[in-house]
Amino acid sequence: MKQRTNLLTIFIPLFILLSVVTIPYIWIILTSFKTRPDIMSTTPVWLFQPSWGNYVEIFHKDFGLYLTNSIIIGFSSTIICVTIGTLAAYCFSRYKVFAGDHLFFYILATRLGPPAAYGVPMYLILDKLGLTNTHIAIILAHATFNLAIIVWMMKSFFDDVPKEVEEAAYLDGCNPYRTFYRISLPLAFPGLVAASIFALIFSWNELFFSLILTSGETRTLPVMIPSLAQHTGTQWGQVAAASIIQSIPVLIFIFFMQRWLVRGLTFGAVKG
Amino acid sequence: MSIQSGSAEAVAPIDARREMGMLERFYAWICSERGFIAFCILPIVSFLAVVTVAPSIVAMIDSLRELSLIIIGKRGEFVGLDHYRNLLGDDQKFFTAIAQTGIFVIVVVPIQFVLGLAIALWLEKITYGRRILLTLIMIPTMTAPVVVGMIWRFLLMPSIGVITSYLNQFGFFVETTIFSEGFSAFVALMVIDTWEWTPFIVLILLAGLTGMPQSPMEAAALDGASAWRIIWHVKIPLLRPLIVVALLLRTIEATKVFDIVYVLTGGGPGNATEMISTFAFRTNFISWNLGYGAAICLVLVFMSLIVAAAFYKLVTIQEKKNAHSGGDQ
Repeated sequence: MKQRTNLLTIFIPLFILLSVVTIPYIWIILTSFKTRPDIMSTTPVWLFQPSWGNYVEIFHKDFGLYLTNSIIIGFSSTIICVTIGTLAAYCFSRYKVFAGDHLFFYILATRLGPPAAYGVPMYLILDKLGLTNTHIAIILAHATFNLAIIVWMMKSFFDDVPKEVEEAAYLDGCNPYRTFYRISLPLAFPGLVAASIFALIFSWNELFFSLILTSGETRTLPVMIPSLAQHTGTQWGQVAAASIIQSIPVLIFIFFMQRWLVRGLTFGAVKG
Repeated sequence: MSIQSGSAEAVAPIDARREMGMLERFYAWICSERGFIAFCILPIVSFLAVVTVAPSIVAMIDSLRELSLIIIGKRGEFVGLDHYRNLLGDDQKFFTAIAQTGIFVIVVVPIQFVLGLAIALWLEKITYGRRILLTLIMIPTMTAPVVVGMIWRFLLMPSIGVITSYLNQFGFFVETTIFSEGFSAFVALMVIDTWEWTPFIVLILLAGLTGMPQSPMEAAALDGASAWRIIWHVKIPLLRPLIVVALLLRTIEATKVFDIVYVLTGGGPGNATEMISTFAFRTNFISWNLGYGAAICLVLVFMSLIVAAAFYKLVTIQEKKNAHSGGDQ
């Protein structure tokens, strides 16, 4: 009897939930291994002879270049915003900063506002400077866009560092720099890693800024994937393969970084 | 609290200060608390000035100019506040975009919330394999939105899409396609957004449920409260801070919806699925009407500052409440 209720209340809903969530993704994984006739078939094909063809073809289409772009842009923008953002977050957490509340709020506004509101002005100025379609443009854009997540998340991590430890360091004669570098930063380091990975993921997944600030040689994966869909006919197998390669690092991240997911997705507002 | 630290006095004895040169005095200032604050804050201030304030000034100037590619003779001419007058006065497309974004948010956020809450309350019971389970559930939220859009575009393709082919068997969308009619396209976007973002709410609420003290629930159960009453009168009130954050973030993110619309409908058919972001994108980068587009963006900046202020107020009020009651959510 007990087992039957388990089956009804736990396993069947669980099965339905997991199907709804994962089947679209699984279907794309299957599609990436299909050949064109199987993909274009009007009746869904669930069993087929797998092939690596789609993965091979996208690398013939400069997929490697866009992958490299995404990696360069992701890491550079993350390094910039983590450096700037961590220092500011520490200050916000420990000291009274002149107009600090306004600044803290302004940083959040850059992230909560629609990307068009900040992206288009950025495009206008970069266009005048002749910097559109360079890596610099998109790196700066992504660093700005991720600054809010770094500052807010790192502030919540620094708030968790017990102040007594720092006071002890001051008594021992450390100046603020040494205290920050030797005491607070190492204690908040796991948080720093988590925040950086979040920034990296958001840059990796970001579409709007990449769409307006890159083209041709500097395009990133999120810009390249929809551009494979053309009026003359979409190579869905290649779209699927590119999507899978794009999303696998993110999925690995969810598995290993689960402890920080809640805090990262709520800007540190919820310390799950 | 503020930390007492080595200020200028601590670095050099008072009588020695008179003999300090410029360089030493600068060094003493750098080592002081104020110097450290400046060292931390100046980079972010100058960075934001370069990447957000300067562009906004350029956009402000551009929004007063005619920069459309269509109106040839007048390119670059100053037109004063004409763009703002047109935009706020009689641009039907702008107001349609705002209204449609509003409808989208009002429908999608409550549905995601109710679904998310139900799933979270039910998943709370499952303790075995939680990690792998959450990983699977978070796939839609953490995958790039543009990839989500492409996945669904493929699933909903006329004739070859797997969902359309099953829908066809039941007699739906045989004559028309999903994205050729405004209503069905709009509903499809809502379904996709729900698929994508419900896990986000599940994640936040589940974190709240598992971190919750168990004693109120046990006390209520001892008093003979039914499971429903415990959920309604004990768990949901305890979850309230998280519910506020989840709803606020979802509302803000939903008003920014761009990626899935760009990939699936591009705002069409006609402008039936036009949202604020796609409208701004189309005006600037499809019609290349940059002056007018700049005006739109500044109106959006203004609107988003109001939204962000509301978020900030609510979150800080809540933190104060938590600090007051000693709770730590």
